[in-house]
Amino acid sequence: MQLFIDQLVNGLTLGAIYALIALGYTMVYGILRMINFAHSEIFMLGSLFGLGAIALTAHLPWFVALPLAFALSLVGCAVVAGTIEKVAYAPLRRVSRLAPLISAIGVSIVLQNIVFLWRNESLAFPNLLPSFQVNLGFAVLSGLQALILAVSIILMVALHLFVMRTQLGKAMRACAQDPDAAALMGVPVNQIITLTFLIGGGLGGAAGLLNGMYYGSIKYNMGFVPGMKAFTAAVLGGIGNIPGAMLGGFLMGILESLGAGFLPQAEWKDVFSFTILIGVLIFRPSGILGERVTNKI
Amino acid sequence: MRARSKRRNLFLAAAFGVGLLGCQPKDNIVKIAVALPLTGDLGSLGQGIKRAIEMAVNDASSGPENSLKVGLAVYDDRSDPKEAVNVANQIVSDPSVVGVIGHFNSGCSIPTAPIYARAGLVVLSPAASNPELTLQQLSPQWQWPRTIFRVNTTDDVQGSFAADFVRTKLNVRAISIIHDKTSYGQGVAEEFSKRFVSLGGKAISFNGIQVGDKDFKALLTRVRAENPQAIYFGGMFSEGGLLVRQARELGLKMPFVTDEANYDPEFLRIAGSAAEGSYLTFLGKPPELTESAKDFVSKYKARYPDQEIKAYDHYGYEAAAILLEAIHAVGSDRAKIVEYVRKIHHTGVLGVTSFDEKGDTLNKTITLFTVKNGQFVPAE
Repeated sequence: MQLFIDQLVNGLTLGAIYALIALGYTMVYGILRMINFAHSEIFMLGSLFGLGAIALTAHLPWFVALPLAFALSLVGCAVVAGTIEKVAYAPLRRVSRLAPLISAIGVSIVLQNIVFLWRNESLAFPNLLPSFQVNLGFAVLSGLQALILAVSIILMVALHLFVMRTQLGKAMRACAQDPDAAALMGVPVNQIITLTFLIGGGLGGAAGLLNGMYYGSIKYNMGFVPGMKAFTAAVLGGIGNIPGAMLGGFLMGILESLGAGFLPQAEWKDVFSFTILIGVLIFRPSGILGERVTNKI
Repeated sequence: MRARSKRRNLFLAAAFGVGLLGCQPKDNIVKIAVALPLTGDLGSLGQGIKRAIEMAVNDASSGPENSLKVGLAVYDDRSDPKEAVNVANQIVSDPSVVGVIGHFNSGCSIPTAPIYARAGLVVLSPAASNPELTLQQLSPQWQWPRTIFRVNTTDDVQGSFAADFVRTKLNVRAISIIHDKTSYGQGVAEEFSKRFVSLGGKAISFNGIQVGDKDFKALLTRVRAENPQAIYFGGMFSEGGLLVRQARELGLKMPFVTDEANYDPEFLRIAGSAAEGSYLTFLGKPPELTESAKDFVSKYKARYPDQEIKAYDHYGYEAAAILLEAIHAVGSDRAKIVEYVRKIHHTGVLGVTSFDEKGDTLNKTITLFTVKNGQFVPAE
């Protein structure tokens, strides 16, 4: 039983990171019906900015340096995401559904290779958190695991409150529902779209920083696999649906960890989690929390 | 003829004439094709080998005056077997290529070997260690000349050596084995397992991970529950470094034993202090410890001051040196080069290299390394 709980904790921590990345994918899809393939590289840049911030604040105590590093990755990635949107996606929106998608793939390749050409080897990522354990009675979490879970939950709650309770959030939901009607209502759709990218990028950046601290090393190609899994998580939960992305993320993390922990051969974990994904989609094509889109006659 | 078709024919004739111009005999340039992963996870290793090969070509050209100029045709296989086959097809369609140095991954070398052999091109791999690469030449399906050689020894030697060490020197009875499902990683893990079990040991589990995965906490939590006395990993440094690091984080203190693909500064960087005390087998002897290679190290450092010497650089150098010796001895005839290489006794940075009937090097030294104070040092 203890083993099961340990694996669950592993899964939740992993899932928290997937959830943060998945939010970026789902928000952009919700508003633009477009998969932002460059998001995995934003995630990678988040760890890079985090590493830079930590290097710059090396002389400060950890409880000052760490939030500063967070702020820097969040803001840095938000800016990068917003810039990508303005430069690579917005001009192509009118052209076709496919053009921004291909542009996104191109941006992903460009970003990966820029970092590759700068440093093609792994960079060590320091763990600023002093070593401690959180004893919940039935489970023991390492300090890092607790941090990851706490930060992700805080960010997700903040996002949820923002989207559901604020005027701007309402504008975002309006644009996601029907951009033309929203424009007619006076919502500045283009700016809302940029805001979506900023927020999604910021979350991806935070995920990158947490990932860097958790695994201790970062590399130019670190975004690909988590990005793919997070995108899958977003689809699992219902692409375009924000709570869905959170649910999907945690679910993917848990499935992966339980699969690796308990299947007769650990290497079947991906077969396991993706089979479940396919199963869910067969019965609920729009994902677990996705909307049933009825055909209006 | 109508004016339009007359113009078209004139144009075609002119194009044909220009095409013919390109058919002039080039002045005596032969090419060595280099097929390695130059981008991707192993890109840094491939780039290192490429630099060593360039150094070898440079060293050879500053020798006695030769009529044959040797150039390099460099291709990137990205460690992807499909891309490797593409690359191989491009290489064999270039008539000025007389030999191939590559590939790096066993998974790329094995499928491309028949392509090169069919074209009669000699292949010298600097690193592919799965026994199947040269073994396939002895099977009845192999209808082409035997042109595949390698300057590094094979995983059956490596895996067995590691198993002997773990069973007899470390006195380990029960071990958990992890591999990365590639031709190489799984291959060496299987060799290890075979030998370990034959020595009376028990392989508690044999689990695979995916190359590119970063999170092994779930797998290692499971391994922790198995309570092994050691962990063996067959695979590359990106995963190896993370595995040992996460193992230590989860409280697993038993020895971590792995293969030569982890003999890389990257492994130390990724694992940090967790690498301390790990054991690695190394194919041959590293250049710093080989008398004949000390020269190589200083020349490399002089030529590439900003680059660290990677694990396989001196293998690439040796492969190139052997091929260059063959070219300068017998010229540009592919078949003659193959025969020369087959019978060669070459002394160089790897010591003495000569090949058995499969094309494997007879130099089967394995060096055991451990990590002490953040450095690789020879063990015992």
